[in-house]
Amino acid sequence: MLKYLKERGPSGARLPLILCPGCGAGQVLNYTLHAVDKIIHEDGIRKEDLAFISGVGCSARLTSHYLNFDSAWTLHGRALAIATGALLANPELKVIVFTGDGDVAAIGGNHFIHACRRNINVTILCVNNGLYGMTGGQVAPTTPAGIETTTTPYGNVEAEFDLCKLAQTAGATYIARWTTAHPRQTIKSITKAIRKKGAAFVEILSQCPVHNKTSPVEMLHNLKKNTVSIKKTKQSEKGKIRIGEFCDITRPEWTAKYQHIIDQYSR
Amino acid sequence: MNKLHINPGYCKGCLICVENCAPKAIKAADKINSRGYNLPIEDDMKRCSGCKLCEIVCPDFAITIEIDETNNKKK
Repeated sequence: MLKYLKERGPSGARLPLILCPGCGAGQVLNYTLHAVDKIIHEDGIRKEDLAFISGVGCSARLTSHYLNFDSAWTLHGRALAIATGALLANPELKVIVFTGDGDVAAIGGNHFIHACRRNINVTILCVNNGLYGMTGGQVAPTTPAGIETTTTPYGNVEAEFDLCKLAQTAGATYIARWTTAHPRQTIKSITKAIRKKGAAFVEILSQCPVHNKTSPVEMLHNLKKNTVSIKKTKQSEKGKIRIGEFCDITRPEWTAKYQHIIDQYSR
Repeated sequence: MNKLHINPGYCKGCLICVENCAPKAIKAADKINSRGYNLPIEDDMKRCSGCKLCEIVCPDFAITIEIDETNNKKK
């Protein structure tokens, strides 16, 4: 997948990635590039038709620094606002918003809700590691209850945010949740999400080995152990995180509706 | 036989690839390299099935598996 990365920039070599060893964000980037590669080869979409937009955070570092696509590194939480603008200027664009949980759930929560409500043609990939990794491992809205972070040394007392339920209520048309320990399923879901005409949200539970003070391999084991497929409904599997495809519906898309109005009233 | 290429400049030794390799064709090196990382090395590449899962799960784009076409045709 190195053909899609900028190995060298104006100031010398850009790779290796700036992320810590075993970070889930790098894995999600790899999965995304596999999905994008599949779409470029199968659907006949050009590289120029894709745009990557990201906010601020560990996951946001990946797009404009390393990707050889059109990309924008924007304000914290405002990636979806910039994506809306990009789509209004060029509705044919396939916009992929690469964001983290602090970006999309905390500071950019409102933009996220309204992007889903408007059903803009955007693919939202959320790398959810359950804390603010870049600033030092503080508690985030997505931190599960009882987890120790730097600001909750005795365990988190707050309930966590279920982003998939939020997206479904707000009106996104494709919603899926996977973990970094499910590579093939994640690639399949991201491919579906990019092909979907409408707001598509894929949440990828990822590991932060540095702030959780666990080895990456052990964290991947825990992710596999603590999640259960949406298809299984046994009593013993309650309390685990549910993963799978939650929703795949069709609703009129926002820019298409605008185009309809333009066609109706233009002379 | 498939060939394993690891870029020692990119690899950070997280060993997620070794964990994901079901036929156990790769293993962790005993020696630590100059940057302080335990890189994955070949164990027995005859066991490699060519699923490329190690390439997919690598967070640092350090692994490439070169599939041996001649070997596949014989089968």
